[in-house]
Amino acid sequence: MNEYLSFLSIDYGTIILVLINTLILFLVIKHFLFGRVNKIIEERQADVSNTYAEADKSMAHAKELETNYNELLSNARDESAEIVKNATQKAQVRSDEIISNAKAEASGIISRANDDIEREKQRAMSEMKNEISGIAMMMAEKIIQKEINQKDHEALINDFIENVGDDVWQQK
Amino acid sequence: MSLGSKEVVVNGPKVSFEIFGLKITETVVLSWVVMAFIIGLVLFLTHNMSKTNPSKKQILAEWIVQTMNGMVKDSMGSRNLVYAPYMATIFSFSICGSLISVLGLRPVTGDFSVTLTWALMTFFMIQYAKIRNDGVLGYIVGFSKPIALLTPINVLSELATPVSMSIRHFGNVASGIVITQLLYYALTALSNAVGLHTFPLFTIGIPAVLSVYFDLFTGFMQAFIFTMLTMANVGAAYPEEE
Repeated sequence: MNEYLSFLSIDYGTIILVLINTLILFLVIKHFLFGRVNKIIEERQADVSNTYAEADKSMAHAKELETNYNELLSNARDESAEIVKNATQKAQVRSDEIISNAKAEASGIISRANDDIEREKQRAMSEMKNEISGIAMMMAEKIIQKEINQKDHEALINDFIENVGDDVWQQK
Repeated sequence: MSLGSKEVVVNGPKVSFEIFGLKITETVVLSWVVMAFIIGLVLFLTHNMSKTNPSKKQILAEWIVQTMNGMVKDSMGSRNLVYAPYMATIFSFSICGSLISVLGLRPVTGDFSVTLTWALMTFFMIQYAKIRNDGVLGYIVGFSKPIALLTPINVLSELATPVSMSIRHFGNVASGIVITQLLYYALTALSNAVGLHTFPLFTIGIPAVLSVYFDLFTGFMQAFIFTMLTMANVGAAYPEEE
């Protein structure tokens, strides 16, 4: 025959065993359910915050690189402008130099030509003097019909030619 | 009780066996079954958990833990979060202990000793929380507030908490047992009355409909109420610091 407790009973054995059962179940749930799940969730959160931190770091790095590149770019632009400016200046200087050289050369050529002309003129004049003095001598010989002592009268003739002078020959 | 010629008997828990004079009742045996089920479920759900690629059972486990943590945080404050596993224990033990009746077994929570045990645990947790909050002296003095005249009433109300909690839970589940039993007898008697002696037709189907209310609804409701009351009382005894 089965033994039953009364419908509304307080059984100390049951109380103690249920207490123990509850505590065991509590420890299992605490350790295996909450412990494991909370650990996983914490790890995941840590991962997420790590990822965010990494992303922020990468972002900052990218920003830094961007400013660096911008700086480099503007520097390069400045530099290129400088180079162009320098080149232009150099070219200007060079062209100025060439022009002045050319001018100097031209003026040199002109002055040399002038000198040549002068020299030619002098030469021509002295030749002419000699010719003229010869002609004058001959003419005087014919006129006075006697030989003029070239030696004696040379001074006279020269004086004559000098007196006729540049004005007469140059016909200015 | 007697209904017609048949005696209607609603028994308490059966004594399954005895060890060293200690009577091991049906209740305790079934509580082991319930425990084994819950422990098995916990180990199954939390087996092989992954941080980055959670399986469906892991999502369920995480949902359970987070819901429980959220409820405890909401009703008890975040510094009482350590109580969450205990609340989960009481809730799962109570709900599974009640729902075991769906399998035709005697509900664990239909034994007053069980609900009394849990209510006493709640009671001692409340007292511990109060002492922790007010100090030993403040705890004792607290009974004479707001005026000394109310001391007996304060003590009584403190003692009433576990009594009311345990009787409420036990009463709801036990009434389900009684009514199901009565209905079973009544339907059998009805079957006999219309001449179905060998085959009590009415006992099929109709008790199942009622069991939806008495087993499922009451089981869930009482587990929820018991857990919420424990949380509210312990939380109020050790409130959030301002």
